[in-house]
This record gives sequence, structure tokens and C-alpha cells, in this order.
Amino acid sequence: MTFPFESLMAEHRELGLVVETLIGFGFGFTLERAGFGRAQKLAAQFYGTDMTVLKVMFSAIVTGMIGLVVASGLGLADFKAVADSAASSTYLWPMIVGGFALGIGFIVSGYCPGTSWVATASGKLDGLATVVGVVVGQVVYAELEWRPLLKGFHESGDLGNLYLWELLHLPPRIGPAVVAVAVAAMAVAAFLGAEKLEKALAARADPAAQASPAGRPGRVVFAGFATAAILGAVLLALPTGSQARGREAPSISQMELARRVLDEPWKVRVIDLRDMKECAAKRIPGSECVPAEKLGSLRLADASPSRDVVLVAAEGLGAVPASAAGFPGRLYVLAGGFKGWEAFALTAPAAPAAGASPEAIEEYRLRAGLNSAMTGMKAAPPPPPPAAAPSGPRKGGGGCGG
Amino acid sequence: MERNPNRFWNPYLAGVALGLVMLTAFLVMGKGLGASNTSLRIGVTALDVVAPGHVAATPPLAKTHSDGHPLDNWLVFEVFGVLLGGFVAAYTSGRLKREILKGPKIGNGARIALALGGGVLMGAAARMSRGCTSGQALTGGALQSVGAWAFMLSVFAGGYALAWFVRREWR
Repeated sequence: MTFPFESLMAEHRELGLVVETLIGFGFGFTLERAGFGRAQKLAAQFYGTDMTVLKVMFSAIVTGMIGLVVASGLGLADFKAVADSAASSTYLWPMIVGGFALGIGFIVSGYCPGTSWVATASGKLDGLATVVGVVVGQVVYAELEWRPLLKGFHESGDLGNLYLWELLHLPPRIGPAVVAVAVAAMAVAAFLGAEKLEKALAARADPAAQASPAGRPGRVVFAGFATAAILGAVLLALPTGSQARGREAPSISQMELARRVLDEPWKVRVIDLRDMKECAAKRIPGSECVPAEKLGSLRLADASPSRDVVLVAAEGLGAVPASAAGFPGRLYVLAGGFKGWEAFALTAPAAPAAGASPEAIEEYRLRAGLNSAMTGMKAAPPPPPPAAAPSGPRKGGGGCGG
Repeated sequence: MERNPNRFWNPYLAGVALGLVMLTAFLVMGKGLGASNTSLRIGVTALDVVAPGHVAATPPLAKTHSDGHPLDNWLVFEVFGVLLGGFVAAYTSGRLKREILKGPKIGNGARIALALGGGVLMGAAARMSRGCTSGQALTGGALQSVGAWAFMLSVFAGGYALAWFVRREWR
């Protein structure tokens, strides 16, 4: 079973909307019980006397983050897929400026957009005023954001879907877990600091916004986060942990491999698992001869994921060898193994007929070149017959867009 | 259960509970939590009554019609749930009461005006940053989005930068 249930956004949309209402109920209920329906309690965050906002927000972020990392580790979900679907892409400058402006609006109104709904639901008229204000602000900005004056800024700093683990150049397999561990550690440090600050400012606290110290439950949460952090670190330190088991690699077709070996050999690493003798006699251009039993010596689990690995066996390869399963990058198995490759590369292709599509001609060229490289024929392949009139208009001009 | 309006959940446990709600949203719906986009949809619904032609001619407003009615959207149902959840939690804790929350040194009118003005600023800011503290800071933060973390640090910076100037509203 893989989460999320995509049908809840499509054919079972009504059920999905019911689920959303229930999720919203949980959201509103927790916010109210945390004290986020009371403006003084929210505002006190910025005077240091009651750091509930920081405590609740970071506990929630760490819980959600670790939960999703664990679910991804168990194969129930895919961290990046969920993140791509649920988080917006990064527009750095408007997000920094917008964040600052929202912070100002927060301390002036005493709410953020979400908590103003909770305050309204509990009868607070200032919360209702904020709700009305947010509606007006949203519409006014939406009126302006696409107009020439603002459009440039509104779309500046576009970094796409960029995540912290990518910023830190961590491999995608362990990146989210490493960042989650680091965030959990930072959160616990921030919590301890917040508790100290509240104690120091206790005399100045607003009676309507009394700090709630960690107490026993708080210490349990600290311990939970710390345990998760340590556990995560230990799991990551194990060279071939649970991730190595039962990996399935997609197969790559002979044509696709030939194209990649000839076009971008720096992006692909072909590993031939057959006997040293067989491999030495005949192999795919640029491939490494590493007999299957010696594959472990390559330490693929620690190899750079920047080059995709293609495994070549004598015939098709059933399961991915355990010593390759830990490879952090993309892993492929050559369809049909070397036998299939021979049949593909050693038979001279038939020349395409006149008027064949450009794709067919390109494929012919590739196969002919490959055939000559494999059979040792030095002469260039015969030129393909001239194609019919070029299809479609040519794009004009040079430059980057040409 | 005794109703004490000044008793709140332990903030750390409340945070874990909130995190579990968010995790449920991630796993079941593949979506996070959000609030501010609903406000735009309510605004467009109102504008549709007054100036439907103008809405159709303004792409960011017209986009809320892409699924049909602007209010026929998962975020609107989520906020509907927030209202229900907030109401039930406030009722059961004894905090359900019509009142204006403010510091002792400020009048009701001024407080309402500031709440409204702060709301307008937040509405525009949330649109600028593609989400508010719920959709961007909480959801994006948990999903390790770079923009969400930049936004979150900026929110705290903005709040602390202005806190001293509006202290009379709260203290």
C-alpha cells in the first residue's frame, strides 16, 4: 500500500472533501487547545514571556517531518513525492519579503491567517476583523501580482521545488532523514532556550498569556525527539541498512543504453558482471569488468550517485545483487543481458528507406556506428539516404533558444 | 471535565498532536494544511456578485474558478473543519465567548482597526509568499522546502522587529 490515496482528489472527491473537513477539525481543535485562539498568547511570543507559538510550531514540524521520513523508510510513502505535491515551489525573494510583512501583520493583528479562523469560531470579534482583513488583502494582492509593476518581483528567485537536503548536497535516499535529525536536535535546543527565557521574564508575563513550562509531558516529548534523532543517526551510520534489502532496478533497453554510452558516457557507469575472460574478450564500449562475486569491492553504497549504474549480466538479471542494492543513485539492469546486446549490436541494421522519419534515421546511424565499433569495422557507415523534405518549419536564429 | 478558560494543553503535546494531524493530511491526502487561499476564494465569491466580468478578466482571481465554484475546493472544506474544531474546542474549554481580546491600555475601536489592518497586510503577504504560517511555515517547513524555511525565519524577524512599536496594544 502506498500513501497518499490519489483517488481522494479524483474519482472519490466527495469522500476526500469529508476527510479534509475532518483534518481541518483536528487542526482547529488542536490550535484552540494550544491557546492559539487567544491573541495575547500569540503576541506574547514576540515579547519573550510566553513562547507557546515556537514550542507548538516546532514540535509539529518535527513530528510531521519524522513521521513522513519513517513512513518513507517503511516504503509507505515517498518523501519527495509528498513534498512536491504538498509544498509550494520556492520563490525566494517574495517569500522573504512576504514573511517579514506577515510577521508585522501577525504582531499587529495578534493572529496569523489560520488562527484568526479559530479565534472567530470561539467568538472573538478581533479574530473576525482579522479574517475580513485577510480576505481583503488576498484579493488586493491577487489584483496586482500579475500586473507589470509587480510581476517581476512576484516571480523572482524562482528555484523550483528546492529542499534543504538538496541545498546541502545530500543524496536523496538519506537526505530527508539527515535533515530531520538535524531539525529535531535544533528544535530541542530552541525549546530549552525558550524555557530559560520564559523563566527569566516570568515577572513581566501577561496574566492572559502565562507561559506553560515543559513539565513531565514536555520532557517526554524532548526525550522522544532526542531518541528519534539518535535512532536516525544510528540507522544512517549502518553501511547497508534496511534500504539495501529487496531493491528492484528498472531495466534499460539496448537502444537506450547505446544512446547513453555514445552521447553522454560521463553520466553512466556500465558494470559487466560476467567472467573476467568473457568480458575481456568482448564487452560494451566503456564498461568495467567486475565479476559478480567481486562487486562488493566497488563499494557502490558509498559511490557517487551522479553517474547512473547499469548492470550487465550474461543474460537477463533476476534480482539486484545485494552489493549493488545500496547504491544511492539510479540503478538499471540491461534488458536481455550481454546476449541480447550482442544480438542488437552485432547485426548490421538495415538502412532505412527513403523518406523515413528523422527518428528512424537517427536510430539507424546510432546502430550502424555501434555495429562498426563492436565488429571492428573501421569504415564509416554508409550515409543514410537523404530524408524527405524536413518536417515542420525550422526554428530561426541562434543563441540559447535556437 | 472542569472548564477552565486559562488551562491549555501542554504546548509540546499540542505540537505533537498538530504534527500528527499534518502527517495524516500528508499520508491520506498528499496535501498539507492551509488557510489563506480560502480567504481569496471567499473574496472572489463576493466579487462575483458585484463584478463578475472583472473577476474573469483578472487571471489570479479567475483561477479560483478552475474547479467550478471558487468555494468547491479542498482548502475551503479544511477551513470549514477548522471552524468546527475551533468551536467545539472553545465550547468544551469554556473559552467560547463574544469578546475582544487586547491589552489593558487600548480601546476596542483601536484594537479592531489594528486587527483589520494587520489582517489586510497578512492577506497580501500570504499571497506574496504562496502561503501563510499554516501552508508555508508549518507544511513547507515539515517538508523541508527551502522557501518555507526562509519564509518562517522572516516571519519571526518581522514580528520581533515591530513588537516594541505596538507594545501598547498588548501590555
